[in-house]
Amino acid sequence: MSNTPLDLLKLNLDERVYVKLRGARSITGTLQAFDSHCNIVLSDCTETKYSLVDGILQSEERESEMLFVRGDSVTLITTPEDE
Amino acid sequence: MSFFGFDPTAPQQQSHPQQHQHQQQQRSQHQQQRSQQPLDFEDTYKGYGDYQAEDEDFLNDETFGNNVELGNNFDFGHSQQQQQQPQVGQPPAAPVPHRSYVAAAASGTSQQAHMDAAVDLRPMESLWNPNSGAAANTAGPTGDQAEQPRVLSMEEIERNQRQMQMHPPPPPPQGYPAMQGYPMPPGNFMPPPGQNYPMMAPPPQQQQQHQQFQQMRPVFNQPNYMGYPGNAPPPHHQPQQPHQPQKQQMVAPQMQFPPQQQQQQQPVQQAPEQQAPHEQQLASQVAMPQMDRSSSSLSQSSNERDNFKGHPRQPHQRQPRNREPLTPEEQKRLEVRHAKVEKILKHSGLMTPRDKDFITRYQLSQIVTEDPYNEDFYFQVYKIIQRGGVVGESNKGLIARAYLEHSGHRLGGRYKRADIALQRMQSQVEKAVTVAKERPLRKQEKEQSRENSNTEGSNSAGVSSAGQSNDNRDGVLGKISSSLNSKAPRRQLQIPTSNKTLLNSLLVNDEHATAAKPTNPDALMEVTESLGNVELSQTARVRRRSSYAFTSVDQSSVLSRSGGRKFVLSLIETVYEEVLELEANLRSGKPIDNKKLWEALHINDELYEVCPFISMLSFDKGVKIMPRIFNFLEKDQKLKLLQTFFSELSHLNIIIISSYKTNPEPTESQLKQIDIFQTVFLKIIVSFLSSSSNFIEIMGLLLHLIKNNNVSFISTSKIGLNLITVLISRAALIRQDTNRSNMLSSPEISTWNEIYDKLFTALESKLAAVFPPKEYIQKVTSVHLKGHVAPGATPQHYDQAYIWQFLASLALSGKLNHQRIIIDEVRDQIFGTINEAEQLKETAKTPTESVDDLVYRREKLYQDLNLFLNVMGLVSRDGEISELK
Repeated sequence: MSNTPLDLLKLNLDERVYVKLRGARSITGTLQAFDSHCNIVLSDCTETKYSLVDGILQSEERESEMLFVRGDSVTLITTPEDE
Repeated sequence: MSFFGFDPTAPQQQSHPQQHQHQQQQRSQHQQQRSQQPLDFEDTYKGYGDYQAEDEDFLNDETFGNNVELGNNFDFGHSQQQQQQPQVGQPPAAPVPHRSYVAAAASGTSQQAHMDAAVDLRPMESLWNPNSGAAANTAGPTGDQAEQPRVLSMEEIERNQRQMQMHPPPPPPQGYPAMQGYPMPPGNFMPPPGQNYPMMAPPPQQQQQHQQFQQMRPVFNQPNYMGYPGNAPPPHHQPQQPHQPQKQQMVAPQMQFPPQQQQQQQPVQQAPEQQAPHEQQLASQVAMPQMDRSSSSLSQSSNERDNFKGHPRQPHQRQPRNREPLTPEEQKRLEVRHAKVEKILKHSGLMTPRDKDFITRYQLSQIVTEDPYNEDFYFQVYKIIQRGGVVGESNKGLIARAYLEHSGHRLGGRYKRADIALQRMQSQVEKAVTVAKERPLRKQEKEQSRENSNTEGSNSAGVSSAGQSNDNRDGVLGKISSSLNSKAPRRQLQIPTSNKTLLNSLLVNDEHATAAKPTNPDALMEVTESLGNVELSQTARVRRRSSYAFTSVDQSSVLSRSGGRKFVLSLIETVYEEVLELEANLRSGKPIDNKKLWEALHINDELYEVCPFISMLSFDKGVKIMPRIFNFLEKDQKLKLLQTFFSELSHLNIIIISSYKTNPEPTESQLKQIDIFQTVFLKIIVSFLSSSSNFIEIMGLLLHLIKNNNVSFISTSKIGLNLITVLISRAALIRQDTNRSNMLSSPEISTWNEIYDKLFTALESKLAAVFPPKEYIQKVTSVHLKGHVAPGATPQHYDQAYIWQFLASLALSGKLNHQRIIIDEVRDQIFGTINEAEQLKETAKTPTESVDDLVYRREKLYQDLNLFLNVMGLVSRDGEISELK
């Protein structure tokens, strides 16, 4: 059953996932849907944008109810550390 | 005779054919006549009184006609026209000069029309024999005498009717079924009726009675005749008049044949011979008890008739007047009346008083309900609402009160009103119905109560033995059901229920740790009693340790014990796939095979310490799919699933996160999870329990819960408490509702008591712990507040209704001492709630809280509290607790 990487992703449907994106962003949300291109739909998500200001790492958070993430920006999907 | 006011010779009688319509006048006139004309006893009776009246046989002729074949079906309810009897063409041996009441009544209407037409004097003949008219012509020895046309006068009809009235259960019923098909004595044994009837002349004593009846009759019938117009002078004994012509005919032949009088004795000698076949018939047929009373009244009425006929001195003058036609109006009236009488008489007398009694008892037993408050629930509530009379705002509260009042009633709440007349009547009737059953029952109840009291006090070993002997008897004699009524009729077949064996196996299974393999539940109970009231398998023991519950707090540890998170998640995916496939099959109409789905659920999987199915419920998607899974499961599969569920409740993630002990600071998402679980899964359980489960299954589930879990821990979680509530309240409902489908057997009840005791023991002294601490409540409230971002939303308050619901159902199932313990333990909370409510009233309103909101909260607090208090017949209002009125 869980032969392909996407099958593993399937197990996490309706679960909270942590998605790391290009451009120093990450999103935590509930995985609603995905496809073979790794396009994903997340709900109840928190998007965090990291930036270096004067050599100090700062983060900026943004909440959104539903989010579509294009697959070409996804670098990593995993289960969230906390919660 | 005159001292009875009976004057057959009164000359005035014949003055008018319609005298019967003027009873009042007749009576007064009669008083005068009586003084004028003394009666001669000899004249009246012609010495017939010398002959002994045979007890019943002389009626056979009248009732059945002569020479009626064995096996005839007699219809006593129909008039001549309707009678079609199988026996054809048998010439009557002898005509009977009697006329049946029914026939008389039936012919009454048509009579006026063909006044002069020959009316068959042998009504019974025609009654049984369709072509009796022809037969009569060829009739036997005394045929000429019988063939004399006879016209029934109005008076005769009236008299007949009145006779019917005087003897409400008319003669035919007596021994009717027994006599059916009764072979008529052969002709040679039977004296010709002509000779027969003098013998029927009543003995003096009966005659007296008859006279008394005659005197009474007018009084009884007065109302009937008041309205009749008329002027004829009323002879007091006018009923006799109709017989005048007949008497003339009858008396004469008899006197002409004195030798035959010897034969009159014959019926007496004949009696034994007749008796023999009679008794055989009785034995072979459904024995209809011979009613002594009815037979005596029968002979009496017949005596009456004979008496009339026996009067020798009958003036002739009246006969012509009898034929005077009635006016159309009167005739019409008469017809209506006869139609009525006919209708009444049609089936009258088919049943003996005993028959009626029998039927009445059955009907009453249908009405009787063991528990009027339950069975007539809506009426009771309606009554209360009516009485309360308040239709306004408090209507809802009134209904709720009425509702609870009656649910609480059976628990010895204040509403044990034995003084209600209806109930008293019901209980009396019920007693009457169950007299026969009562003795064994009482014994049983005694044992039961003894058992209960024992169990309550100390768990002595004697308890089980008492229950056991009881149970043994049950096995040998079949199920002893405590009462039969409309809801629990007697069953044709009492099969030792598989339920019992199910229960048995259930208990035995769980008992595998103890070496004993008892064969019946009571023996099992004995063992468990000696084990200190806790029957636990090794694993269950481990599980029940409170520390064990905490091992499940860490969800990942639970998951790892059931195969790991990945495994559980993949199981959920498999389940989803199966469900989707099944649903697709359902849509396309393909056959449904849930085998793969069932396997995917891993209900029976014992490879893992924690059942994977339980772990599936740790995930929201696992919970959400449950209703769709249930659509495809068989009943026993559902049951098994729920058994597993309740057994492993401690591992259920949702319990852990909803318990204030293991999760004192629930997050918003967790609260959401709790909500989801409650709305989805609890709903499934409730609907399953209420729709398709029986008492034993519920007990089984509860047993699973109690034995494999730390109940006091579970009771600290909202979900756990809800689950327990669902089980015990459903069990309580079924118990109250025992009449619905079947009675609970005594082993069932005693098992229930055992289980309840176990549950209660587990909760005892920890009941106050079902109330979450203030900090937890505040936390939950604040999280909720945070959740509701909308600024105008009303502030949330922790809803404690589920706790009071739990306590209410716990008290509902418990006995008085249980209730006492419950109250003792939660006393602080009760008063705390009342205080809180009262403070809400007093506190200065903060700007954020509107008055309406405060009132609502206060009402809510009382409502929840009263839910519990009402069970015990109490109610709290305005800071005080009082008895429920």
